[in-house]
Amino acid sequence: MNSPQSSSSGNFETNKAVRVLTEAAGLLRRPQRAISLVSKLASDGLRTTFEHRHLYSYATATVPTADALRSVIDWILHAQRPDGGIAAYYSLLTGYSDPYPEVTGYIIPTLYDSCRLTGGEAARHAAERATHWLLSLQMPSGAFPGGLHDSSSAQPSVFNTGQILQGLVRARAETGTAEIMERAMAAGNWLAAMQQANGSWSGPAAYQGVAHTYYSMVSWALAQLADASKDPRHAAAADRNINWVLSHVKPSGWIDGINLRGHPAYLHFIAYVIQGVLECGILRRRDDAIQTAAKPAWVLLRKFETHKRLLGTYEADFRGGLPFTCLTGNAQMSCVWLRLFEVTGDLRYLNAALKLNEMLKQLLPLKGRRGVVGGVAGSDPIWRAYQPMRFISWGAKFLADALMLEQRLMREFEEQSEAKCEIKPEIKPEASECA
Amino acid sequence: MRIAILCSSPYSETGCAVAARLAQLGYVPVGALTLPSWDRSTLLRKLGQWGLHDSLQYAATKLAPGKSTLREQVRNPYLERALQHGAGVFRNLREVARVYNFPVVTCGDQNSERAVAQLKHWSPDVAIFTGGNILRDEVLRIPRLGVLNSHLALLPEIRGMSSPEWSLLCGIPLGISIHFMDSGIDTGPILLRREFAAAGCESLADLRNKMIAHGVELLAQAVAGLDRGTVSAIPQADRERDRQFFVMHERLKAVATRYLKEVRLSPAAGRCHE
Repeated sequence: MNSPQSSSSGNFETNKAVRVLTEAAGLLRRPQRAISLVSKLASDGLRTTFEHRHLYSYATATVPTADALRSVIDWILHAQRPDGGIAAYYSLLTGYSDPYPEVTGYIIPTLYDSCRLTGGEAARHAAERATHWLLSLQMPSGAFPGGLHDSSSAQPSVFNTGQILQGLVRARAETGTAEIMERAMAAGNWLAAMQQANGSWSGPAAYQGVAHTYYSMVSWALAQLADASKDPRHAAAADRNINWVLSHVKPSGWIDGINLRGHPAYLHFIAYVIQGVLECGILRRRDDAIQTAAKPAWVLLRKFETHKRLLGTYEADFRGGLPFTCLTGNAQMSCVWLRLFEVTGDLRYLNAALKLNEMLKQLLPLKGRRGVVGGVAGSDPIWRAYQPMRFISWGAKFLADALMLEQRLMREFEEQSEAKCEIKPEIKPEASECA
Repeated sequence: MRIAILCSSPYSETGCAVAARLAQLGYVPVGALTLPSWDRSTLLRKLGQWGLHDSLQYAATKLAPGKSTLREQVRNPYLERALQHGAGVFRNLREVARVYNFPVVTCGDQNSERAVAQLKHWSPDVAIFTGGNILRDEVLRIPRLGVLNSHLALLPEIRGMSSPEWSLLCGIPLGISIHFMDSGIDTGPILLRREFAAAGCESLADLRNKMIAHGVELLAQAVAGLDRGTVSAIPQADRERDRQFFVMHERLKAVATRYLKEVRLSPAAGRCHE
């Protein structure tokens, strides 16, 4: 997700200073939040001081996946505001934020998936309320606004429209409502109209006015819409953007063009690029896109397996970055690895995702006040650079996605292996040439 | 043949077994270079691998055997024969060294200046790696022929960690490869490569123990073969292909265990090639 703050502001530093002051003042208004704050700071401080990773890190299951998933979904349900929008975050200083249209949109598939998995009607109801709220925000052009809901000068945003489109396509599939499809088509048509000839999106409706490769997530949404609408314009727009993104691939696997002024390339954005290219490649049956996504995904897998963690940011060509954990980026990479396992059958992706999920489950607060329990912090430790002092809704969304994917794929894999054992496989000793 | 042993701890059963087995065959090592008993990374690895209870039990039987039986003193029962000495067993490398008269030197890091100087002083024809640090090129180049490693899978199919488990899961025959180490992970030239019979293995731990013991025998054969000039190393095919595997998560291990039960019943498993 882009910063919840106004996406077109040229005065990034001023906004940041205002944000810090506002958040600090929040603690003065509700001093009782100091307990959660101090407790989280102390636990993160102790853990980062004494915890040492070793060769067998995360190879053992410590928290049941179903328990962790329930707790994350509950966090999302609690983050839904009375109007149906989902808060961007719960701050340890200021509490819940205003609802955030972008996340409200792409959290809808997560809620429906959770409902399917657990049969919990609360998630379905939440998804329907979220959809209803989003439809009330759509602009006459078909676009959706950027920023938080209370932003005084809401502007149409390509990225946020793409993310919301994912939710609309899913809501339509679940409910069969014609109006949702019409609205989704309007959003898709607006995205196609705003696209540059080279396949990118830039200009006033793009974050900071420039083109970004992580808008591959928009292509994914367009590819989903194309599957539902059968409209070739949406498929063509998705393909054009993916072609543009693929032109930014470097030999190291790094995909250039994240292009964020004022902050580094957080793992969250790197994972967006990869996830968008991969999912779009799967939907559009494009091997070139799948192979391209697999390359940086494999580089990051090796880094995780070797160092037992992924950095919070990376410089070009994965040459290093800031030593903290961007939990959302980790959850996204888990989704990417699980999908690559599904596509390629390479068990190393599944293995790495299982371990990454173990780490994420271990970092999930299981005690504390509403807004904290089941929340995914922006950074670990929580005071570091990415969304400091906050539990963020898009982090919860990606962790829930990762845990649900893990459950489904492991169930399928275990069933297959049981069937394989039942027919007594003969592991054939190939002629092994020896020295 | 001048042989040096590289060990992760003086209490490493595999290190002791390799040194003892070679000495029994007449290849008394010129020296053994070991990490300290309380090396942090080795301790953490063992805690992760065995758990606290088993790690403490291991430490107790090595440091204060008391009234424990021979069987209780050897964690890997398949190494008992190699470790047996008189009425007892070798509990650490220093006991092996005392009997066969070779020096044991402790170093904090097998790549340290001190370790390099010691190895150069011993001037080995071959070094045998039984555990420790990831060795740098400078160390790998010291022995005239190279540094040997016993890898618990067929190379080049399965490189890296949890290799018997990955072999089972990927449908690759179980096996052991004796290879020279190079700067990659298990990418060096192969000296011996044998498939391994899983028959009788009750668990993954049992399988691993059996394979380790088999690997000790194969290392001894490789050394003898090098000495007589009857074996030669062959570079690995498709060295560039990424076949590295990593520590396996326990949920996948559970599936591998199911496969093991099937494999051990299969008459096809266990053919040997040399």
